[in-house]
Amino acid sequence: MTLSNIKKVALKVFCILSASIYLISFNVHANDAHMKSLINDITKMYMSSMVYVFKSQQIINGKNIDKKELLGKRFIDNIKQTYLAKYKEEFPKEDHFAKTVLLQAMVEVMDDNKALLYDDEIGFKGIIPATFAFQLSAKLSTKGVGLKIKFTRTAGQIRNKLNRPDSWESSVMKKIQNTPQIYYDENALLNGKPAIRQFTPLPMAHYCLACHGVPDNNPLNAGKKRSEWSNIDITGFEMENWTIDDFGGGVSISIEKSVLE
Amino acid sequence: MVFAKKVKKIYCLSVLSLFSFVSLSQTLTVGFIDFPPHIALHEEYKDSPLYQYINKVFLQANFKVVYVKLPRERAFTELIKGRVDVLMPTSIPSNHETVRKLSVPLFHTVPGLCFKKENYIPILSATHRFEKLNIGVPAGSQVVAALTGSQANLIPLKGEDVTSRGVELTQRGRLDAFYHPSPVKVYHQENPLYKEVACSYFHGYSTPIYIAITNTMSKETFTAINKIFQKAMLEEPYEYYFAMRK
Repeated sequence: MTLSNIKKVALKVFCILSASIYLISFNVHANDAHMKSLINDITKMYMSSMVYVFKSQQIINGKNIDKKELLGKRFIDNIKQTYLAKYKEEFPKEDHFAKTVLLQAMVEVMDDNKALLYDDEIGFKGIIPATFAFQLSAKLSTKGVGLKIKFTRTAGQIRNKLNRPDSWESSVMKKIQNTPQIYYDENALLNGKPAIRQFTPLPMAHYCLACHGVPDNNPLNAGKKRSEWSNIDITGFEMENWTIDDFGGGVSISIEKSVLE
Repeated sequence: MVFAKKVKKIYCLSVLSLFSFVSLSQTLTVGFIDFPPHIALHEEYKDSPLYQYINKVFLQANFKVVYVKLPRERAFTELIKGRVDVLMPTSIPSNHETVRKLSVPLFHTVPGLCFKKENYIPILSATHRFEKLNIGVPAGSQVVAALTGSQANLIPLKGEDVTSRGVELTQRGRLDAFYHPSPVKVYHQENPLYKEVACSYFHGYSTPIYIAITNTMSKETFTAINKIFQKAMLEEPYEYYFAMRK
């Protein structure tokens, strides 16, 4: 083989290698973008369902009211409308198994509450955004699909012990509590398996303060003398005196990488 | 090369025909245990959502099926002895090595408390509200940590029908509430007791409910059933089917 031939072969090998490296890195970036997009869609779908549950308190707790808007396909349609209004964009396409499972779980959770919803002898049903979110998380954990969703907050401020943050969530909240921003970790673990995790902080909303704020925010105190005010909210917990500027916790989503593939 | 292809083809065909042979030639005896609202044996059980879901799954796989209604006390004996091939819905006790279960649970139940309506506590993570409450608990049953760790007075309920006893004592004010491992059996709209009590749930503490299979069933048939059930659950999980029913 002459020197010029060797040069030609070396050039060829170099070109092939460069192209392969470029293609691999392009593919990695594309996968990364796809995963981020999926996890963002799931976060926003989850948050829209919580907002819709908040907006539906009158239907949820009302007597002699048709509750069909809270059940089955109509519930999902209402969440889609809420999503559109909240994010000013179309509801994500159901193009991934994880999204389908999430939507199915939403319908299942509301159906689990059906007897309560139609029980006109019960006034306050306790179906509020936080409890709905927890029921949804609990439901998803039974599915065995490698998808975990949680609405959580710093450990000392959690009412439901089963909803306490894990060590990853605690460390993330510590990092972002003062400057809230989305935290994305593509090298995390879930159930001991490689996973992608994202924590999306939520701003404190006025509706959160009805339970977590000061007695002035407590709807049960409306129309009462200040001396008769209670610091126990409608759910039976002591109010935390949070303000609109406090850290609102966030949505923690974990997906096993095998699910994404 | 051609020979290898032929062998592969023959292998594939024989596997396929094995599955269709297993399904077509087999008559399965499927036992149902009362578990309202999924399957209510005191009513026409063929109207129950669980029957309709399961029957569709078996029919699509060309199984011939005979259904039998079984009292809870006798159901496991029938399964162990192989007089029924399949039994549902049931939680499988850990000491039951004499039966198998399909790999995917049919659904999950969540335990809870049933109250007289005017004393209803909707959110059970508020365990401080249990302080000094008298709560009936079926004697010998396992109770969730949220309740045992609370300040409630737990009173054992004895007898054959602890649910009726719990409802009765709650109505008479002798109990503030009673614990039920699956309150959905009591608190659903078709049940007359729906008017008497209201139940709330210990979300986060769930028990999987399975389809149990007799140990006398052949490995091939078990595999075939497991496969068709997994496929059906992937296409439409039973709990979703149940929630979407009219």
